[in-house]
Amino acid sequence: MGRRLTLLLASGLIALAVGVSGCRRSEAPREAAGRTRLVFKYQPLWGPPAPFHELLARFERENPGVELVTEALPNASDLAHQFFLTALEGGADDFDVLVADVVWVPEFARAGWIADLSEHFPPERLRADFFPGPVDAVVVDGRTYAVPWYLDVGVLYYRTDLVPRAPRTYEELQRFAREAMAEAPGLQGYVWQGRQYEGLSCNVYEALWGHGGEALGEGGRVLLDSEPAREALAYLRGLLESGVSPRTVTGFSEEEARRVFQEGRAVFMRNWPYAWSEAQKPDSPIRGKVGIAPLPTKSGEPGWGTLGGWQLAVNAHVSPERRRLAARLIAHLTSPEANLVLALHYARNPPRPVVYEDPRLREAEPFIANLKQMVERARPRPVTPYYNLISDVLQSEFSAAVAGLRTPEEALKRAQRQVDHLTGVRE
Amino acid sequence: MNGGGSLERERRQAYLLVAPAVLVLAGVALYPILAAVWLSLHRFILVFGERRLTGLDNYAFLLSDARFWAALGNTAYFTLVAVAVELLLAVPLALLLNRAFPGRGLLRASVLVPWAIPTVVSARLWAWMFNPEYGLINRMLPGSDINWLGAPGYALHAAILVDVWKTTPFVALLVLAGLQGIPEDLYKAARVDGASAWRAFRSITLPLLKPALLLALLFRSLDAFRVFDAIYVLTEGGPANTTETLSIYAYKTLMRSGDFGYGSTLSVATFLCVVLLALVWLRLLGREEGAR
Repeated sequence: MGRRLTLLLASGLIALAVGVSGCRRSEAPREAAGRTRLVFKYQPLWGPPAPFHELLARFERENPGVELVTEALPNASDLAHQFFLTALEGGADDFDVLVADVVWVPEFARAGWIADLSEHFPPERLRADFFPGPVDAVVVDGRTYAVPWYLDVGVLYYRTDLVPRAPRTYEELQRFAREAMAEAPGLQGYVWQGRQYEGLSCNVYEALWGHGGEALGEGGRVLLDSEPAREALAYLRGLLESGVSPRTVTGFSEEEARRVFQEGRAVFMRNWPYAWSEAQKPDSPIRGKVGIAPLPTKSGEPGWGTLGGWQLAVNAHVSPERRRLAARLIAHLTSPEANLVLALHYARNPPRPVVYEDPRLREAEPFIANLKQMVERARPRPVTPYYNLISDVLQSEFSAAVAGLRTPEEALKRAQRQVDHLTGVRE
Repeated sequence: MNGGGSLERERRQAYLLVAPAVLVLAGVALYPILAAVWLSLHRFILVFGERRLTGLDNYAFLLSDARFWAALGNTAYFTLVAVAVELLLAVPLALLLNRAFPGRGLLRASVLVPWAIPTVVSARLWAWMFNPEYGLINRMLPGSDINWLGAPGYALHAAILVDVWKTTPFVALLVLAGLQGIPEDLYKAARVDGASAWRAFRSITLPLLKPALLLALLFRSLDAFRVFDAIYVLTEGGPANTTETLSIYAYKTLMRSGDFGYGSTLSVATFLCVVLLALVWLRLLGREEGAR
């Protein structure tokens, strides 16, 4: 009896041990038959797969002995972030090149998860070849940690049949909206993203820059309790109170706003460039009646849109020779030619100014070519390794101000206190 | 003498027999809990490799953390209202399902459909229905332009509605099981005595149903207190954290921010609340058993 129990116990323990050791990732043979497998983790590009595959195949042709493997990531940015958080913290070395959202680069660099690429892509060269916004997002303390791949920027959509021209100031935007609304009952003025999520932070930062504010203060402190920030939140809240924006905006993310605009029920919309092709579809009620412009500002100069988009970085846990290969792959995927492929086939906006002058782009995608004036003014959200730590606080306090639960003063004071606590700033 | 020795052996054997179960429980339940408690005593930011023991600092911050208290309030309110409504709806539903009528089996099965749909899927469906612009609910209430998921005050109630829709069938099933345990003779006797249907319900059904009701309350309140998926899909805790529950706060802190120290503190606090709730219910249940 006793022996049998011991046996049972022992087998239980063995099962437990097997289960535990089973958690360790099995090392797949990486250097099979003299070929190096280079693994690229990215989010699938929507569109026909062939042009992108051709781009990857060209790299393999130019680098015999390298086998390129792509692995898909979840599309939602925070899920992809979670994946990297656990994988890179665990020292995963089963992928070489990875995509990183603009707000992750300082964090991953500080954590030591992505390799310093300054040797292959010196910061000065990036500054010469790329727009300033994305370079600011990938250069941390004077070192390059990633290379911009494609980017996104917040822009203003307007109805060319309802307003005389794009508004330049906040005051103009509200006046144009009210005039158009007075003529067509049921029409809404300005739709944007007011739900508690990252998109709201993007909208708030645009308003903050538009009121002459800066995201970072002295010594890299995330600055919230400032006059421009108060004005920005008061402006956004005021849009709801005056009826220029519907109250439902507090539940809107990109798609809710786009649907209202696309059905022809709004005069203005703040969104990313992706909404353009939807608006121009054959069955779209607003086809041919939409214009796009930089966001307005308080002073009337063209506004700054929030920078979005993806960068390519190298996993710091892989061997030096793999890192060299990975850097070569990044150079290949971020070349002007690759920028063009992504723009022409996947409507991804190039991070290099020179591509916007390319006749092939101007011919086939005049819309993207025209985005240049907005892209060059794209600004990153506060560049700090703590961004993911503080974004939650920003979202909830911004949401409280926009929903009218707290005054801008109060919300910003609270946000500042919490952000200082998280980033370790002392008063 | 001899009997005592065998008793001793039997006791030893009993310990041995439960040992594997205890071991497994320790491995999968006790260890993670203790690990979380240990983590909660640190400042531990995963990304930056910051890890140092800070003692009870996190707990001190917790006590003054307005967001924690707000989340606790939201969670308690959600649990109280959702479970109360579910129980009030489930009892009549169970009484109905307990009656004999053609097609009863089919109806009993179909009542469970909301319960069977994965929460994330049904929450997504509801999010579309709640959409103020093109959602079904505002279309069905002409003239209303309620911003269900975007207005503080409405959003939490919208989430409660989804939970009630989803879980009432489950509660009804628990109550139904209790109903079927009540002997038919009691009702017959009541009828002979000339008791009205209401009287029979009050004096026979309800008292005999009490253990089943308490069990349903136990299951549901513990579940509701840990609510995450439905609310996360509907609002992610917005607007302005007015629908943020303890689980969502803990998740955001742990997984989005990577702040493992304070995130664990929040998890431990949630765990303690649930344990407390469970103890209260179990005590009530125990008293019920004792009264029999």
